[in-house]
Amino acid sequence: MNLKELYQEIILEHGKNPRNLRKTENFNKDAQGKNPLCGDNVHVYLKLNDQRKVEDISFEGSGCAISMASASIMTDLIKGKSDNEAKEIIEDFLGMIKENPELKSNILKEDDKTKLMCLSGVKQYPMRVKCATLSWHTLVSAMENDGKEISTES
Amino acid sequence: MNLDNIKKEFPIFDEKIQNNDLVYLDSANSSQKPKVVINRINEFYTKQFSNVGRSVHYLAVAATNLYENTRSSVQKYINAKDKNEIIFTKGATEALNLVANTLGQKYLNEGDEIILTELEHHSNYVPWHYLRKSKNIKINFAEINEAGEVPIENIEKLITPKTKVIAINHLSNVTGAILPIKEITELAHSKGIIVVVDGCQGAPHLKLDMQELDCDFYAISCHKMYGPTGLGILYGKKKWLEELPPYQGGGGMIREVKKDRITYGDLPNKYEAGTMATAQVIAFDQSIKFLESIGIENIIKHEKELIEYGQEILRKNNSVKIIGNPKNKGGVLSFTIEGVHPHDIATILDEDGVAIRAGHHCCQILHDKLEIPASARASIGVYNTKEDFDQLNESINKCKKIFDL
Repeated sequence: MNLKELYQEIILEHGKNPRNLRKTENFNKDAQGKNPLCGDNVHVYLKLNDQRKVEDISFEGSGCAISMASASIMTDLIKGKSDNEAKEIIEDFLGMIKENPELKSNILKEDDKTKLMCLSGVKQYPMRVKCATLSWHTLVSAMENDGKEISTES
Repeated sequence: MNLDNIKKEFPIFDEKIQNNDLVYLDSANSSQKPKVVINRINEFYTKQFSNVGRSVHYLAVAATNLYENTRSSVQKYINAKDKNEIIFTKGATEALNLVANTLGQKYLNEGDEIILTELEHHSNYVPWHYLRKSKNIKINFAEINEAGEVPIENIEKLITPKTKVIAINHLSNVTGAILPIKEITELAHSKGIIVVVDGCQGAPHLKLDMQELDCDFYAISCHKMYGPTGLGILYGKKKWLEELPPYQGGGGMIREVKKDRITYGDLPNKYEAGTMATAQVIAFDQSIKFLESIGIENIIKHEKELIEYGQEILRKNNSVKIIGNPKNKGGVLSFTIEGVHPHDIATILDEDGVAIRAGHHCCQILHDKLEIPASARASIGVYNTKEDFDQLNESINKCKKIFDL
């Protein structure tokens, strides 16, 4: 276990000053995610334009440094991507948190990958994996399931 | 038994937890187990095991006697009038569900009202919520004050002619407030209202005297009381347990079963359907003996000193905010740190072997009221020391450093 790996500078900085912590005006997709064990909640909003590109993405909610940083970095990276690109990034991220040592997708730039890899520290803390993945699962729901509420406990 | 060396009685403190000495501050969640309890479970399974109350062979009779001995010990420990007022359940949650369910079946009618408090644990709210759905019962919540207590006036003002039940905790698992159960019961009984007490936090830390408290029901969680998991106790006044219908049906709780009719057994069997947590019940006798050997007065004194010490050092630590300041407080210290989420606090503390709880502690109503999503909670047992709080404080400082506070 290594706290320094979990609480890296980027995580602490995003946790303290989350990007896109607001509600997208004229959003056309959204979903809520909850962790009933701790009370964390997140609401993801996005605006997909006619070309199926993520014109804007934002989130509201509260949670620990890990979950806020994860949602913040996620919204930063997804903005401007097509829905297919977004799905590939999500799958890549969740795969990395679950089992893969590295990110595989070529869509992300190297420094974006570095940012995402900062969240890989949670792998050593099984109880905290849900903190890192809640916003991502919620984004999937917003895009695919017409906003079905996500719970970390099914 | 002397409290100074009490940690030695708990084998877990001989273990290194991730290379650290264990600083266990999560006893409100569940207490650690003394070796007498652990050994008793082992001994029972090794040398004495049989199911209870059914067969006539030697082991079955001996096991039944041991099982019933615990019932007598519990009766004495909580000063219940009758041995049959002690019902074993799988936990305090089941005990509270039993009360809500059977009162709902026989005693409560549409439009009746129940008073809970904003301090209640979900296990003393959700079972009553079911009656909202099934019987259209109305639930009112007595409000907390600034100190995180529920003054009796806040309960009194909610009482109407339709109030049938007041269901309250004895000791809050978040603010530590100790509720004036005796006074609440006097008030309630003067108006013909039943009092149900969630005693999960009260039972391990306070003097229990059912005849003095005079409440109608009292639920106990054995694993918070230095006992095994999978076991709870419902104390209920005999007149209620006799009058109310059974909760679960099955073996052991019947008198006669015919194709066209069933009659039920007497107390306590009526409420103990199926094979019970035999080994746990028998080992719980050792938990009671352990508590008695220290003496509840000594436990109360020790825990009061300790929690006052803990409050004092955390108050001096700026950015730490303690939740609630009840005059009459038990061994629970909940807090927040401005700028650090409780989960991050708990993970960082864990790295030093400091085990606390973070979250809403099954009290979402209270956290909503306090307008915080979660809190961190340090809670104590007989084995804690001032050094544990010193370590807690040191680890909190480490946490503040990581978060640049």
